[in-house]
Amino acid sequence: MSTSLNLDKDHLTACISCGLCLPHCPTYQTTQDESRSPRGRISLMRGVEDGLMPLSKEVIESLDTCVQCLGCETACPSGVRYGELIGQTREVLNSHRKVSFRLRAGLWILLHMRVLLFGSRVLAVLQRLKLVPNKALPVPSRIPLRGVRYVQNDDPEVILFTGCVMDVWLSQVHEAALSVLDSIGVRYMISGNQVGCCGALHSHAGFRSTANKQALEVISALPSDLPILVDSAGCGAVLKEYGSLLGTQEARIFSSRVYDIHEWLINDSKWRESLPARRPGNKKVIVQDPCHLRHVQKAHTSVRELLTPFVECLELDDEGLCCGAGGAFSVDQPELAKEIRDKKLKSIQRAGRHLVVSANPGCMIHLESAGVEILHPIQVVAEYIGGKEDHE
Amino acid sequence: MGMNDLEDFRESVGKSDPVAVVGGRTHWTVGGNPTDDTRLVSAPVGIDFFDPSEMTVSVKAGTTLKDLNEELSRYRQEVCLEGSSETTVGGALMIGTDGIRRNLIGSIRETLLQAEYVDAKGKLIKAGGPTVKNVTGYDLCRLLVGSLGTLGLVGRVILRTRPQSEKSVWLRGGLSPEEARHICFRPSSLLWNGEETFIQLEGYGVNVDSEILNLKNLGYEELGVKCPISIPSFRHKFVNGMSLDNGIIDVYSSILYKSVEASEPQHSEEVLRLGNRVRKMFDPLGRLNPGRDPYRAGP
Amino acid sequence: MNRSRGNDQLFQELCRDIGTNRVHRDGASQLLYSRDGSAFPGGIPGVVCFPETTQHVVDCIKAANRHDRSFVPRGAGTGLAGGAVPCDAPLVISTTKMNSILEVNYEKRFAWVGPGVVNLDLTKSLTGTGFHFAPDPSSQQSCTIGGNVANNSGGPHCLAYGVTNAHILAIEVVLPDGTLVQLGDVDGHASGYDLRGVFVGGEGTLGIATRIAVKLTPDPPEIRTLLLDFMDVADAAKTVSAIIASGIVPAAIEMMDKRIVNVVEEFVKVGYPTDAAAVLIIEVDGLPEGVKIEVERIQSISLEHGARSVRVASSDEEREQIWKGRKSAFGAVAQIQPGYYLHDTVIPRTKLVEVLEAVYEIANRYELIVMNVFHAGDGNLHPLLVFDPQEPGVMERVLVAGEEIVQVSLDAGGVLSGEHGIGLEKKRFMEKLFSEEDLAAQKLLKDAFDPDGRANPFKVLPSGASCSEVNHLNQLPDGAWV
Repeated sequence: MSTSLNLDKDHLTACISCGLCLPHCPTYQTTQDESRSPRGRISLMRGVEDGLMPLSKEVIESLDTCVQCLGCETACPSGVRYGELIGQTREVLNSHRKVSFRLRAGLWILLHMRVLLFGSRVLAVLQRLKLVPNKALPVPSRIPLRGVRYVQNDDPEVILFTGCVMDVWLSQVHEAALSVLDSIGVRYMISGNQVGCCGALHSHAGFRSTANKQALEVISALPSDLPILVDSAGCGAVLKEYGSLLGTQEARIFSSRVYDIHEWLINDSKWRESLPARRPGNKKVIVQDPCHLRHVQKAHTSVRELLTPFVECLELDDEGLCCGAGGAFSVDQPELAKEIRDKKLKSIQRAGRHLVVSANPGCMIHLESAGVEILHPIQVVAEYIGGKEDHE
Repeated sequence: MGMNDLEDFRESVGKSDPVAVVGGRTHWTVGGNPTDDTRLVSAPVGIDFFDPSEMTVSVKAGTTLKDLNEELSRYRQEVCLEGSSETTVGGALMIGTDGIRRNLIGSIRETLLQAEYVDAKGKLIKAGGPTVKNVTGYDLCRLLVGSLGTLGLVGRVILRTRPQSEKSVWLRGGLSPEEARHICFRPSSLLWNGEETFIQLEGYGVNVDSEILNLKNLGYEELGVKCPISIPSFRHKFVNGMSLDNGIIDVYSSILYKSVEASEPQHSEEVLRLGNRVRKMFDPLGRLNPGRDPYRAGP
Repeated sequence: MNRSRGNDQLFQELCRDIGTNRVHRDGASQLLYSRDGSAFPGGIPGVVCFPETTQHVVDCIKAANRHDRSFVPRGAGTGLAGGAVPCDAPLVISTTKMNSILEVNYEKRFAWVGPGVVNLDLTKSLTGTGFHFAPDPSSQQSCTIGGNVANNSGGPHCLAYGVTNAHILAIEVVLPDGTLVQLGDVDGHASGYDLRGVFVGGEGTLGIATRIAVKLTPDPPEIRTLLLDFMDVADAAKTVSAIIASGIVPAAIEMMDKRIVNVVEEFVKVGYPTDAAAVLIIEVDGLPEGVKIEVERIQSISLEHGARSVRVASSDEEREQIWKGRKSAFGAVAQIQPGYYLHDTVIPRTKLVEVLEAVYEIANRYELIVMNVFHAGDGNLHPLLVFDPQEPGVMERVLVAGEEIVQVSLDAGGVLSGEHGIGLEKKRFMEKLFSEEDLAAQKLLKDAFDPDGRANPFKVLPSGASCSEVNHLNQLPDGAWV
């Protein structure tokens, strides 16, 4: 099958095959195989574009196994825009083949909040009855039984973006975020159910038209000029990308309002005023950077800045290598995702037996299902800033 | 003039009969004696070119270490070739063993940058290159060092030089070799006679002085510039548990120096086969240093 | 041709011997393993193998022998001279999966590692032990130790510590006939010919390393990194010569000219002076008192020779960022143009000023952009000609300019390659440096190891026959050239 991927030729030729991306690619690190590396994937894209390579099973496998963590973009000294290349490629691939039922079903459900809510409640009950074996599904081990009723302020200063699945599965993170805002006296509202899915996973998986549709909905549902705070790195990344995704002035203005919650807090004067004079205990946490925070938003240092007044932050020794969650990746490529996670687990082990924090629901769920004790950083902050818990 | 010397040397080596180069005869029996029918020739003598700011020297193989070092020390430099003052540059390279200062000054194998040698067919061959770093082609210089003149007869070489240390001193004390290693950053020599360790420190005066102070606090005695013990001449490979027998161990290289000759070293059949293939390639008729065999030489 | 039928049989035997999942021959693998870091317009591998044990490698080579096939060892594929490019449908034997650190002996200061262990991973695994692996090629975060052995790799710190060869004690090798042999020993004193020493730098043409004993180097107690900037390239070059001539051997002296500083700064943002004509990165290490003396001497020498400022890195992070910039330099050039052509000549350090001047003059004359980033301390130049391969006629100019640069280096008493190796790319220049007889002598060594010419054929020596798939060697490839 001879197909054009419609890739930007300049972006393709910008890769000079130096190989400096190899150590930052989770799939190359687990396989040591060129076809699982950024430079290999770019070579294959080039091969397809130049008509040297058919879009064979092996080529598709190579491209499908990319987590899209974009660790390679951070590592590339020439600034190759790999994200754009693989995004565009995925889109073309999706129009040429059947997407797996698992993936399609997963993406569909995100767009249908009622089904998602109903299914999750059923799952939560089954979990309590121990009818779902632990780690059988890519979901948290204890889904909340009922939805949270958030209190909102009049005359809000900020909007917390609550999204779809996170609001259903990890609402405790939103609660923690709101309690932090409460403690320092920031008035807020939430985006809530009517806004729903941001389309991050759809964009990620190469369903750009669905992603664009969600983007339009989200933008029109959240007018005003209030800052939009996001406590999911994956959602935050795509919200910030709406501008370039849609290419409209309205979308660009919207994206400029979006902040990762850590990023926003550290620059907020109320936050700075409420910091303790010295660290309340000697607790240590291991910081696991979500790729969408580190490589896409490049806001990962703010997590440390936010945590350091309260706890000591320990770094992993893998320079921000992906954990294998990768949005829908762990659903689509479960075996590879597990192998990548195994590497991460070893790195966590080397850092010692401490609580792990990660600012993205996907990473939290993926690591938790391997038995890692994990929280969202904002949950740790909430414990301290609210003064709710006394720590050793 | 230099070229003429080499050309004379090439002619004296000839093309067909058994031949060996005689230097200072300081290591004459290493790896066996040349057979009786071997014709002995001498290598040319003299320093061709010494560029102190480049830290390389071009010298003919028959030059003695004494003469070479005299010239180099005028610019406070040295080469890492060891032997007695009568040992020739070519001789030291063909024997190819490192001295006790290897830990600081590096291996003799790193010293030879370029060699011009006469091959078994009587042709003058150039191996390596004049620069301090070089991966242009196969590094035949590596092969020549320690080859006992069995692959080619070296006439002229370019060697890497190094700055002489500002200060050098020996100390004696009671730390075990392992402890001594931990205490000192990069001693040039570390010897052990089974009871005491002998440490040679070299470098900037301030560095050496601060290390001396450290060691004196641990009961070490300062002994001056010259090596305080005489080192027996036969090199044995030391393995843990071996008795010292009044020998002295070079801790960094695990060489045990003893006054009795070592038994012939053991080599795997595969290594010997490969080594012999190399020799056969370079000297199919066996005319270069017949009777000598690098695989029979000690460590 | 019956090559594909031969392939079938060979493929099946390999699958049987080392396992189906370790043998690839699909089109994607063939494309990906046809090139290395040089993006040479390579041939096509017959079969790509991913051995995980020494026995697998033996099996691969024996299979190659049975089918009268050659083989090409391959590490991470970061080589810059086409050394891992397959010619004549060989087995490509990728050692990347042999990536375990097998034994670390702190008492005797060595470690046995698999050839696929990544250079920087070894040093990282030693963090906190007080030791490191000294060779640090710029690609160290990606390249493998097996590849370092094949190319006798250098790196900035090889100025004081020596190139890879000085750090390899012993190597377990599978010879081209399938024989397993250990060259050298962990004490570094094996008697007999130094076959370990010639194997290092053999560019995979003498056999395949399956286990490597590396020397562990003690970490220096003190390190100082200096960033010097100059308004004139010649002043920087003079400073380098003067430092060496003063008897100081720093751990590293690196030079970058204005163009490369600008692309590097764009990437690392550590505050490289982008208006300077050239910068030097100089590192000294050792005991604190001596380091202090060397820093002072280097400062005064450089100021005497026209340095505008000398900045001493104040933290480990700053130091790391400075080095990250230097080590990313090659990878960053695509910011300017998507193609580059690179040489690796070494010249006497006393000739830096005149040769650099000539390099700029040559580039100007051919209307090409040249960027210089190199190991100044040992005279190892890396002139990079940067260009857009789409521009008509540019290839011819690049090639002629490249050849002139090589000639200028050789005329100054230099050599072809300091650390990248000859591979496919530079063998056409070998006759400029060696006579026919010199090259015949080198061939004797190759023949002793590999009488049938199966190991990585068509590399290093300019033989009469040439790789049929790569006979357009004088044409630069489309797209990138590293």
